[in-house]
Amino acid sequence: MIDESRAASTPDNREILRARARVLARPPQSIPAAETSLEVVEFRLAQECYALETRFVNVVYPLKDLTPLPCTQPFVLGIVNVRGRITPVIDIKKFFDLSDMGLTDLHRIILVRGNGLELGLLADVIVGVRIIPVDSLQASLPTHTGICDNYLKGMTAERLVVLDMDRILADPQILVHEEVEN
Amino acid sequence: MKWTVGTKIAAGFGLTLMIFLIVGGFSYHTTIQLIEVSDARKHTSDVLTQLTGMLSLLTDVENGDRGYVITGEESYLQPYHAALARLDPLRNMTAGNPHQQQRLHVLEPLVKNRVAVASANVDARRTKGVQAASAIIKSGKGKAFMDKIRKVLGTMQSEEEAILQTRVDRAETEAQNAKAIIVLGTLAALVLAAITGLIITRNIAGPLRQLTAVAERITVGDLSGSLPATTRGDEVGALARALERMTQSLRAMAAAAAQIASGDLRSALKPQSPDDIVGNAFARMSDDLRAQIGALAEGANVLGASASEIVASTNQLAASASESAAAVSEATTTVEEVRQTAQVANQKARLVSDSTHKAAQIAQTGRKAADDVVAGMNRIREQMEEIAASMVRLSEQSHAIGQIIATVEDLAAQSNLLAVNASIEAAKAGEHGKGFGVVAQEVKSLAEQSRQATSHVRAILGDIQKATSAAVMATEEGSKAVAAGTGQTEKAGDSIQALAGSVSEAAQAATQIAVSSQQQLVGVDQVGGAMESIKQASTQNVTGAKQLESAARNLNELGQQLRLMVARYQV
Repeated sequence: MIDESRAASTPDNREILRARARVLARPPQSIPAAETSLEVVEFRLAQECYALETRFVNVVYPLKDLTPLPCTQPFVLGIVNVRGRITPVIDIKKFFDLSDMGLTDLHRIILVRGNGLELGLLADVIVGVRIIPVDSLQASLPTHTGICDNYLKGMTAERLVVLDMDRILADPQILVHEEVEN
Repeated sequence: MKWTVGTKIAAGFGLTLMIFLIVGGFSYHTTIQLIEVSDARKHTSDVLTQLTGMLSLLTDVENGDRGYVITGEESYLQPYHAALARLDPLRNMTAGNPHQQQRLHVLEPLVKNRVAVASANVDARRTKGVQAASAIIKSGKGKAFMDKIRKVLGTMQSEEEAILQTRVDRAETEAQNAKAIIVLGTLAALVLAAITGLIITRNIAGPLRQLTAVAERITVGDLSGSLPATTRGDEVGALARALERMTQSLRAMAAAAAQIASGDLRSALKPQSPDDIVGNAFARMSDDLRAQIGALAEGANVLGASASEIVASTNQLAASASESAAAVSEATTTVEEVRQTAQVANQKARLVSDSTHKAAQIAQTGRKAADDVVAGMNRIREQMEEIAASMVRLSEQSHAIGQIIATVEDLAAQSNLLAVNASIEAAKAGEHGKGFGVVAQEVKSLAEQSRQATSHVRAILGDIQKATSAAVMATEEGSKAVAAGTGQTEKAGDSIQALAGSVSEAAQAATQIAVSSQQQLVGVDQVGGAMESIKQASTQNVTGAKQLESAARNLNELGQQLRLMVARYQV
C-alpha cells in the first residue's frame, strides 16, 4: 500500500492519472431556458417513442395487480391500487384508435395528474427524463402516427412524439361516465 | 641163341663188370694189408713211446730221489710208484714177440732194483739225514742199475724199430702192386667199355637215330619219311618194321582225312584191327561226321533262316529299345521336373503353414484388440453419460443464472423507474432539485449500465445455452455413435473370432498340406530314383540290344558261312 502511494507520487503515474481525468472529463451541458425547452418523460409504446411533459407526471410505477373493469370504454384496461389510491389505467393506443402494432409488454404505468384527473398511462419502457428544445419540434405527418394533431405538441427529428397532455386530459372522451342499468 | 639188343649190351657190360670185380678184389686185399701195416706201425710206435716213457720215468725217479735228498720235500717222491705200473702194459703189448718178452723179464728186476735203491735212499734221507743218502748215491749202485736199464731199453727200441721197418717195406711193395693192378684193370675196363659202347652205338643207336628222326618227322606231321627195308631180327628191326607199318596206316588215314577235308565223306576207312583205336575212332568219326554234317546242313539251313529272322527282330528290338530309352529319359526328366516342382510346392506349403500360424497369432491379437476396443467403447459411453449428466447440470445452472439475471434485470428496471421518478421529483423541485436530478441521472445511467450488462450476460448465457444444447446434441449423437461403434466392434470381434477359427483351421490344413507335400516329395524322390534305375536299365538294354544286334548279324553271317561250308560237303 505504501509502495503504491509512493508510486502514485511519481511523475509517470501522475501523468497517467491526468490523462484519465482528461478522458473522463465532460463538458458542462448548457441548460436551455425554460421558455425555449420542454422537460419531458420519454417512454416507448409498441415500437414508438412518446414523451410527455414532466409537470403532468406524478410518478412512474410498475404495473401490478391490474383489475379489469367491466362496462367501460375499450381503452380503459382496468384499475390499479397505487399507494392506496384507485387509479384507472388507460391504453393510449386504443384511445387513439391505433391498430395493434406488434406485441407489447405493458408493465409500466405513468401516473398523470391534471385537470382534476389522475390516471395511469400504459407504457412498455420508461426511457427517462429529457429536455427538448421547443424549436426542434415539428408538426408530425398525419400518416405517420395516425394520432390527430390535436393531441400532439410535435415531433422531434428522432421521431419522438411529444403528447399534449392538457388536451388529452381535457378530452371529454376520457371521462368514464356510464351507468349500468339493472 | 639170338643176338638181341639186350644180350649184346649184357655181354659188353658183363665183361667190363668182371674186370671191375677183379680190380675191386685186389684193391680190397691191398687195403686190408695196408690197414694191418698201419695198425702194426701204431702198435710199434706205442711200444716205443712206452719204452721212452719208462726211461723218462726212471730218470724222474732218479731226479726225485736226488731232489728229495737235497731238499727233503716229499713231493719229489711221486714218480716212484708210476714207474712200476708201466711194466704190465708193455708186457701185454709185446705179447706176440718172444724176444721182447725175454727182454722184459730181464728189465723187470732191474727196474725193481733201481726203485728199491731209490726207496732205500729216501728212507735213509728220512731217518738218517742227507749225509747217509748222499753216501748211498755216491756208491753208484743206482747209476749201474740205470745204465743196464738204458741198455735193455735201447735194445728193445732198436728191435721194435727193425720190426716196424720190415712191415713198412712189405706194405710199400703190396701198395705198389695194388696201384699197378688198379691202374691196369681200370684202363682195361675202360677200353672194354668203350669198345662195347662203340659196338652198341654202331649197331643199335644209328638205326635207332634214323628211326627217331622218322618218328620226329611223324610227330611234326611229316609222313613222307621212309625207312630202308631191313632184315634185322632184333628189336630195332621189329621197331623199324612197325614204324613203317604205322607210317603207312597214318598215310592212309591222312589220305582219308584229306578226302574228308576236301568234303568227300563217301569213302570209308577200314580199321587195321579191332584194337585199332585211331582207325576205329576215324571210321566212327567219319560215320558220325557224315551224320553230323547232314544234320549240320539241315541245322545250318534252319540257323540261316532263323538267324536272318533274329537279325530282323533284333533290329526291331534295338530300334524299340532306343525309342524306349529316349522315352524313359524324357520321363526321367519329367519326373525330375515334377520332383523340383514338388520341392517348391513343399517349400511353399511350409511357408504357407508358417504364415497361417502367424496369421492365427495375429487373429488372436486382433481378437484381444477388439475386446480392448469394446472395453474402451464402454468407458467412452460411461464418460459420455457423465458428460451428458454434467451438461444437464450445466443447463440447470444456466437456468438458475437466467433467473438471477431476470432478478437483476428486474432490479435494474426498478432502479430505472426510481431514477425516473427521482428525476421527475427533481424537476418538480425546480432549482433546488437540480443536484438531485443529476444524482437521479447517475442512478439511471447505472441502471442502464446494469441493464446492458444483464442483456450482455443474457446474450452470453444464450450462447452458453445454445452451446450446451449443441453439446447435448453432440453427446447424444456421440453416445449413439459410441453405441453403434460398440455394436460394430462387437461384430468385428465376432468376425475376428470367426476369422481366428477359420485361420486356425487353415493353419491345421496348411500343416497337413505341408506334411502331405513332404510325403509326396519323398514319394516323388523314390519315383525319381526308380526312374533313374529304369533309365540305367534301359540304357543297358539299348547297349545289350545293340550287342545283340551285332551278335545276331555275326550269327547270320556265321549261318551263311556255315551254309556255304556245309554246301561244300558231299554226303
